[in-house]
Amino acid sequence: MRAYWGISFFIGTFLLPAFFSDNLLAQEQYPEKPITLIVPYAAGGSNDLNARIFTSFLDDYLGQPVLIKLVPGQAGQKGTLEAVRAEPDGHTLLFTDNYRDQLHRYTFRNNAYDTNTDLITIARVNYGAIGIIVRNDGDYKTWAQLEAAAKSKFGAVTMSHSGLWVALFVPAIQVMKDLDLQLRMVPYRGGGPAKAALLAGDVDMSMAFPATVAADVEAGRIRILATAGRERLIPDVPSFVEIGLPPTTGFMHRVVMAPVGISEERVMILREAFSRMQQEQGYQRMMAQLGENTEYLDGAAYEAVRVQQSRDYRELAESLIAQ
Amino acid sequence: MEVLLAGLEEALRIDTFVWISGGLLLGMLMGSLPGFTTTMGMSVLVPISFLVGDPLIGIPFLIGVYKGGIYGGSVPAILISMPGTGASIATVFDGHELTKKGKARKALEMGLYASAISDFFSDIFTLVMIVPVAAIVLGFGPPEIASIMFLSLVIIAVTSTGPVIKGLLMLCLGVWFGLIGADPFSGAARYTFGTSQLYDGFHLIPMLIGLFALPEIFNAVKEGDQTNSSIAKFVGEHLRFNELKRSLRTIFRSTAIGTLIGLVPGLGQPIAAMMGYIAAKNSSKTPEKFGKGELDGVAGAEAANNAVNGPTMVPLLTLGIPGDAVTALLLGAFMMQGLRPGPTLLETNGEIVFAILIAMVFANILFLIIGYLTIPLFTKVVTIKRSLLIPVTIMLAFAGTYLARSNPFDIVTLIGFGLVGIAARTAKFDVAPMVMGFILGRELEYSFGQTLALVGDDWLHFVFVERIGMTAVVLVTPIVGIILGTRMKRFRQRAIEREKK
Repeated sequence: MRAYWGISFFIGTFLLPAFFSDNLLAQEQYPEKPITLIVPYAAGGSNDLNARIFTSFLDDYLGQPVLIKLVPGQAGQKGTLEAVRAEPDGHTLLFTDNYRDQLHRYTFRNNAYDTNTDLITIARVNYGAIGIIVRNDGDYKTWAQLEAAAKSKFGAVTMSHSGLWVALFVPAIQVMKDLDLQLRMVPYRGGGPAKAALLAGDVDMSMAFPATVAADVEAGRIRILATAGRERLIPDVPSFVEIGLPPTTGFMHRVVMAPVGISEERVMILREAFSRMQQEQGYQRMMAQLGENTEYLDGAAYEAVRVQQSRDYRELAESLIAQ
Repeated sequence: MEVLLAGLEEALRIDTFVWISGGLLLGMLMGSLPGFTTTMGMSVLVPISFLVGDPLIGIPFLIGVYKGGIYGGSVPAILISMPGTGASIATVFDGHELTKKGKARKALEMGLYASAISDFFSDIFTLVMIVPVAAIVLGFGPPEIASIMFLSLVIIAVTSTGPVIKGLLMLCLGVWFGLIGADPFSGAARYTFGTSQLYDGFHLIPMLIGLFALPEIFNAVKEGDQTNSSIAKFVGEHLRFNELKRSLRTIFRSTAIGTLIGLVPGLGQPIAAMMGYIAAKNSSKTPEKFGKGELDGVAGAEAANNAVNGPTMVPLLTLGIPGDAVTALLLGAFMMQGLRPGPTLLETNGEIVFAILIAMVFANILFLIIGYLTIPLFTKVVTIKRSLLIPVTIMLAFAGTYLARSNPFDIVTLIGFGLVGIAARTAKFDVAPMVMGFILGRELEYSFGQTLALVGDDWLHFVFVERIGMTAVVLVTPIVGIILGTRMKRFRQRAIEREKK
């Protein structure tokens, strides 16, 4: 009896998987094994949730599961480095955003990589357009009032943000630089606590993706003063361009990238899969429920955006260093 | 009231409870794997809740994972002195001593009953008080959190076992370890010696496993296979009813402490468990038995850490604000079901929300049953031959460490803190204040820094009008410290006298 179990255990653990993997290799097709998607953030954030949604659809179009590997640490550098150093065979991808992609070279010295030469875009999954928010019963009813107050004296206006060099912080320093004003920045651990600080009256303003404050706007607790972009997102709320900011300020792009060296053919297979997936209704519905858009952009088109970003962020970083 | 009844009707569904049971079981199994945190477990399982498409299945399932996970963490803490999360640090003190004495089953059962009872009552509190309490939650900002952290640090320092000065030293050492890594405000690297590995600071999980489990393994190896070995070979008897009855006071006290701590966003389970444990020790008639295998200690810690779960739902549901990674995942799960947590949720979807909360209350009964059924499975560990158990424990320590965030450097951290743990044990230093200093020091620094950023020019107004709560806590701190300190001193003297007799 014992020997019987021993033999079946041996077959189960060693022989069966070997048999299956041989079979898969024989097909010589890409992707030939599950794809690992490195997510350089901690569990529970919006990027984690976004990744969980699209990876659960993507396997239908690639024929292989896409497994999420969370590699948080060093503000995203650790996961990025792991992706850069991975075999460029298309079986390791990175899910990141434009701030981590473009600002690391300035915010961390001694970087072991340069994202512009080490990573290539597969697809932009979606983006978030930031909005400037205040309490509805607070002192500032319009952006003009807030701007005047912030210009009057340093520290007159406090702002809560979700951490250095990420979604709320970067647009805030862009606003400060472009409009020549000063905000007193108070860090919080994530967007939720930053919003709580605004609601509690601890700070005067904050920023948020409109979907994350929709319920508060409805309940009359939060007012949106301006939203990113050229066009107005909400009829009565001015756009960033109207208040004197460049049209690119305040966009966080969620992108999937691959290490450079991956064959052109495989890039095409991946881009094709993403482009077909984003047309699926189930995917669009799920993203909508999470409050995310499905404004897909092909990798090649995003590469052009990336070049522009590279210039903008260099200017931003240089102006900060000059200070 | 009407919404509540409608919710009750909705919640009484068989499939809801089947899914909760599944979640609980998965949570317990995942939680019992050192290094596999509740957050990781939930993050892996969250797509399942997306796909089922029914809020009364998907969300209770995740809540089951959450509850089961927090309890599951106490299993390795009790059996092999390996706290997988910060929440189960205080469980190790007495839980593992009980295992050594051959009372593993009693310890696990006490942990289970305390967890389930406290969960039950804190969930009822959440259900009934969700509306009035929501307004209070926002009152706790960084200044209040910083002052509570400061108070907690003082309490931990003065109540540590052994001389106060030793406790204080270890606490300071822990705080210093917490300073290593990036400055949270400027991003500047501190004490990293130019390496990028230390940029994030030390990770908590390898530190915990190193400090608590490695010295235990080292001892076991040193002792060899003796009869009075430190890892007993038997599981022991069931918990007796009057033993549970004796600890009921402790359980309720810890439930109250845990519930209050859960209401303040950002404090979390490690503090709750530690405070519950200290309170139990302080009001015990035999405080000298704590740390040597006292069932009341397990009850105090386990009731407090589970009581945190329910109230964290209050800011999530009423304000749409997740306090930690677990509630952030739940926020996603709610949104995927078309429910948008926030001020309007209770008006628009009150029925479903109350149904979920009621399901949460009932889940505790299932929690008790499933937990009870899994105990024999876990206690098998104790009966394994030591020559096999020790290598397996070593493997779990290293694998758990690596699993937590797949960073090879964490193995170095594990070994380093293992050596620190062994040295501390030899020199009779308590490592608990060090760990708490490490956890709380970072948080105190962060919330204090935030407070400094919030203070405007008019600091007098800030301290004495706007943030009077913070000021009150800070002023009370030395008084609490002195009272507790003298009490502990008296306890120690009494214990010494008793030993002499």
